Amino acid sequence: MVTVSDLQTGSTTYNFEPVLECRDVSVYYGGIRAVDGISLGLRPGKISGILGPNGSGKSTLLGAVTRMVKLTRGDVLFEGNDYSSVRSGDVIKLGIARTFQTVRLLPDRSVFDNIILSTDIACHGQPKEVVEGYVRSAIERTGLEGYELLRPTELSYGVQRRVEIARAIAVQPKLLLLDEPTAGMNRTERAEIGLLLRSLQSEGLTQLFVEHDVAMMVETCDYLYAMNFGSLIAEGLPEDVVRDPAVQEAYLGKHGRKHA
Amino acid sequence: MNLQDVLNASTLGSIYLLFALGMALVWGTMGILNFAHGSVFMFSAFVGYLITSRIPLPLPAVVLIAMVVGAVLTLAIQYFAYQPILKKIKSVNAAELQIVVAGIGLSVIPIALAEKETLSNNFGFQGSTFQTVVYQFGDLRISNIMIIILVLGLGLGFGTAWWIAKSRQGLGLRAVGIDPEVAALMGVDRRKMALATMAFAGALAGLAGALLTYYLTALNPHSGEGLILKAFAAIILGGLGSVLGVILGSFILAFAETAVFAYTSGTWVSAVSFGLILILLVVRPQGILGKKEVRRT
Amino acid sequence: MIDFLSSYEVLIQLTLSMTLLAISLQIPLRMGVISFASVGYFAIGGYATAILVAQQGINAWAAVFLSTILGGVIAYILGLGIAHLNGLYLAMATVSFSLILSVVAVNGGSLTGGPVGLFGVIGPITTWHFLVVVAVVIFLVSFTERGKLSRRFDAIREDPQLAAAMGINVVRYRRLSFLISGAIGALSGSMATLMKSAISPESIGFGLIILALTVIIVGGQGSWVGAVLGSLFFLWMPQTIKFVGTWEPVLYGFIVAVAAVTLPGGVLAVYRNWRYRRTAAKVIAQQEARTRDLAMSGATGGGSGDGV
Repeated sequence: MVTVSDLQTGSTTYNFEPVLECRDVSVYYGGIRAVDGISLGLRPGKISGILGPNGSGKSTLLGAVTRMVKLTRGDVLFEGNDYSSVRSGDVIKLGIARTFQTVRLLPDRSVFDNIILSTDIACHGQPKEVVEGYVRSAIERTGLEGYELLRPTELSYGVQRRVEIARAIAVQPKLLLLDEPTAGMNRTERAEIGLLLRSLQSEGLTQLFVEHDVAMMVETCDYLYAMNFGSLIAEGLPEDVVRDPAVQEAYLGKHGRKHA
Repeated sequence: MNLQDVLNASTLGSIYLLFALGMALVWGTMGILNFAHGSVFMFSAFVGYLITSRIPLPLPAVVLIAMVVGAVLTLAIQYFAYQPILKKIKSVNAAELQIVVAGIGLSVIPIALAEKETLSNNFGFQGSTFQTVVYQFGDLRISNIMIIILVLGLGLGFGTAWWIAKSRQGLGLRAVGIDPEVAALMGVDRRKMALATMAFAGALAGLAGALLTYYLTALNPHSGEGLILKAFAAIILGGLGSVLGVILGSFILAFAETAVFAYTSGTWVSAVSFGLILILLVVRPQGILGKKEVRRT
Repeated sequence: MIDFLSSYEVLIQLTLSMTLLAISLQIPLRMGVISFASVGYFAIGGYATAILVAQQGINAWAAVFLSTILGGVIAYILGLGIAHLNGLYLAMATVSFSLILSVVAVNGGSLTGGPVGLFGVIGPITTWHFLVVVAVVIFLVSFTERGKLSRRFDAIREDPQLAAAMGINVVRYRRLSFLISGAIGALSGSMATLMKSAISPESIGFGLIILALTVIIVGGQGSWVGAVLGSLFFLWMPQTIKFVGTWEPVLYGFIVAVAAVTLPGGVLAVYRNWRYRRTAAKVIAQQEARTRDLAMSGATGGGSGDGV
């Protein structure tokens, strides 16, 4: 396991410029420590993953990073700047885009309208043709040509998820956060999402995704974090993290290398 | 306010209680605000009028008829209107609105039917065998119907509160109100519970309607219209989620209205409930004994 | 032709004012705010105009202008107080607001003319003026039904949390919706009062709430087109069902109830869904053809495995 973090003092030195940095981030609700002192720095242009069983705090961490959840303690920095005080609505304008655990699309709107919804907000001020161009290119990237005019109700779950991803990448983000993007998908769909993320990464997009499907994480990620009970229990190269005894114990009997 | 006013206000409060209790139960457990409740109240009494104008019946029979009519009407509304809407609309917010709107739409029909028959005149239970008897204790006048109303109102009110707190089905009802999914997992039959609650609420509305008709000797087709808001005021005042709150709220409302009526002209009375609602919702939405969260997430 | 118009002038005026009132109701509804305060705004606009014109002798157009602004301001303040409430509570607060105003009107003594109301509200405003005013409002509102604004309204209504995450300032939009709804509602009351040259508490009570609501039920909540259709339907329908005689109110109630249960979104939504279904069917057919072609040519990936 390779790490140079000094979790005690919360000061971490990285041998790269982290796109996103969490410094001792904690989120406590009542008596529950959903996220407990997490420090990490995302490698630019790489796909990082957060692995963890249900309830480990992964989604809460994403919420903290997107400012939808209040930080009890700690700081979040984007491209070196502290943005802990930025409202969740403005996070997208910084260049951080996300998808959600449950598909959240407007049911009475077409795929195209759903995607352009956030694009024209994030790209405020840019001419209409440019914004539409972003949307079309996102549609192309996610293989959604032909679906533009359909409403989410006609689409299979896997396709709906792709619309969510298209919505996130259309805003030309610098960081893409994905919350269990392949939940409920079959093997083929999963593989396609993996390919999509890889091709986005090859264009330099930094990504962080949260999953509890181990195999997919190992295949797709360049760097992996493992969480349990709100804390980081391991980090490093996927193959190493997966073999870490603490990680295996957290997953004992649950997943191994199999997935739905 | 003298003792006579207290007595009168308490009687009014008992009627409000019977009406509001049903509404509160339905709203608290099913999230449905039934705007047709007022029309059901009026129409149940109206059917009582139709029958007693042909057959002389004693009070218990008339009351029973009204309760049955109320229960049946409410169940019909649930089955033909609210359930289809809930099935059709997924988003909770949109369904809420559509249900309110449907309730308002439905409430027009019984009123129109009653108006057609009575030509907007009052109707009462003159054909009933019940005779009002007034007892005098010094300056105090209390009639038998008032006693009946007080006993039934407070009895059913506290009885329901006790039942919800202590009985198994009551626990199930509370569970459904808090988290329907979990309640279903715990084995609570939501559909049966829903129907039973609706039927009970409807019966209470019918009871209230019949008793009020006996008390005032007459109702008119529009008598139910303002009641929804009064009930809402009483429920909010006492706090949603608490039966004791509904009792408290109903009585406070009745007393406030009686006081306003005594000290100002009658035209300000309805403003009491409206004003209470507005002030409470802005200042203290959970009411006096309320538990449920009323803020937007 | 002129005879036809003048004999139906009253109905046309009513249609115009119901249209404005319905639009005033729609604006918050389209953002998921269940507000019945529009009837209250109507009352504010109507009474303010009546007082300004009949009692203070102020120019009619100036009165209209001032009343509209008053409505907007009061609505905004109301919004500040209650916009944070959730669905039904908000609805009830707004119903109470509207009904309190009608009680105040009844008890307002010489200022509001008490239970009888105010008369002699006369100004040089004609039905044509009214028509132009409504057309202007519709023109302005139509901007919110296209493109960016309409998408944002939908997001705020369907998924406010998502809307906020996307960068939409939900609170600000909601507050604005109160303001605009208030202005349009007051405008509707102001002009209706000038057309009738009178206003009374009866015309602003629960009955008006029900009437406005039923316009929305039938016409739909989403667009000014629905407001116009709904108003037309409800004001001209009594003419056409007169044949049922005394059953008229019952039939009316029945139609409303049926519409409420079976047509969420009103007739306009039915039409729009129909049009969408046609487009969707075409697109789906194209997709299936494409999938078949791909499969036949031995290609993998693309749409295979997803289905539609």
